[in-house]
Amino acid sequence: MNFAIALYGVFFKPHYVKKVIALTILGDTVNTFAIFIGYRRWVDQTPSRIPVLTDLSSEGVEELRSLAVDPLPQALVLTAIVIGLAVILFLVFLGWILYSHYKTLDMREIRRLRG
Amino acid sequence: MRLVEIVVLIAIALAIAFLITVGFKYIIPLTSVRKIAEFYLYATYNSFKLENYTAMSPEAVTAIVWDFRGLDTLFETSVFYLALIAGLALTRGLIIERAESSGYGLSVIVKTVTRITAPMIVAVGASIALHGHLTPGGGFQGGSVIAVLPMVLIVVFSAGFLVLRGVTTSKLIIMRSLGLFGIGLTAIVVFLAGLATSVPAYVFQNMIKPGTGVSMPSHISGVLISGTLWFFNLFEMFAVAAGFSIAFIALMLAKTLETEKGD
Repeated sequence: MNFAIALYGVFFKPHYVKKVIALTILGDTVNTFAIFIGYRRWVDQTPSRIPVLTDLSSEGVEELRSLAVDPLPQALVLTAIVIGLAVILFLVFLGWILYSHYKTLDMREIRRLRG
Repeated sequence: MRLVEIVVLIAIALAIAFLITVGFKYIIPLTSVRKIAEFYLYATYNSFKLENYTAMSPEAVTAIVWDFRGLDTLFETSVFYLALIAGLALTRGLIIERAESSGYGLSVIVKTVTRITAPMIVAVGASIALHGHLTPGGGFQGGSVIAVLPMVLIVVFSAGFLVLRGVTTSKLIIMRSLGLFGIGLTAIVVFLAGLATSVPAYVFQNMIKPGTGVSMPSHISGVLISGTLWFFNLFEMFAVAAGFSIAFIALMLAKTLETEKGD
């Protein structure tokens, strides 16, 4: 549902800033989804643990292996967040250029001015 | 709302629902994780049984980000760097850095509170970054937290406040480049050590691996630093904090110029 709202915003909202906001919602939705995929079901009513070792011993490592959630999606999401941030940054600069050219960020207005 | 928009919205929602329904067995979490994740969890700090593969970092995510999949993160840093360079190129010539005197900004209460909290923001960011191999966090997160500070200063004082204090974009670019240089150097330092002592070593090597002879020290005088991870986090913190600061300053000062043009 979130995904649908975000795609709808990217496609149909006429304002540039709203498009960018919809894009961030899209990215966050996908990231949350990836985190969910890495979750682990509770073993014997014991809650799953974050993938951080707190007991620096051989038993602690075994416990982490048997209880912790998947760290790989979290690492990938970390990468994705930073790249998404970079893209958003670039889009903001681009929007600023757009504004200084057309004095508006409304896509309908821009299309009218160009045509 | 036009009809076609509603149709597209419903179609997208149904398609996603269909995908989730079909692939639900991959979404319901299992009691076991995937093989590769199990290996990562097992090897992240295992000097007991797996000493040839471990990253010596209690935090599995940082170990994956900077050790097991370090090249990913290196190129991610490059993407961030390039996006910022592109943004600066778009606003080139439009950023006039001038020092504004006081008299701008919010009230004296807000300014005083900002002066008190400013060192705390830096301390929290540095703590997040430098403990990235022990607790959740790392260079990106710490750098982002530190980058909050210039944004707060710009909002509370004025757009030219940072320039007044000598924080210009060129200095920040130098700081950022030093951070990136440090990341590059940390990536090859074990390789260089291997060359110097003529034993096999890899680029992006952290701990000792099968077939290599050298490794980064996992402890320095008894303090766990997880080899390269600590240095990666440190330099990444500098790069990210400086990068975001450049972006904020560039956006703010460029906008100031634009309104003046309009006048």
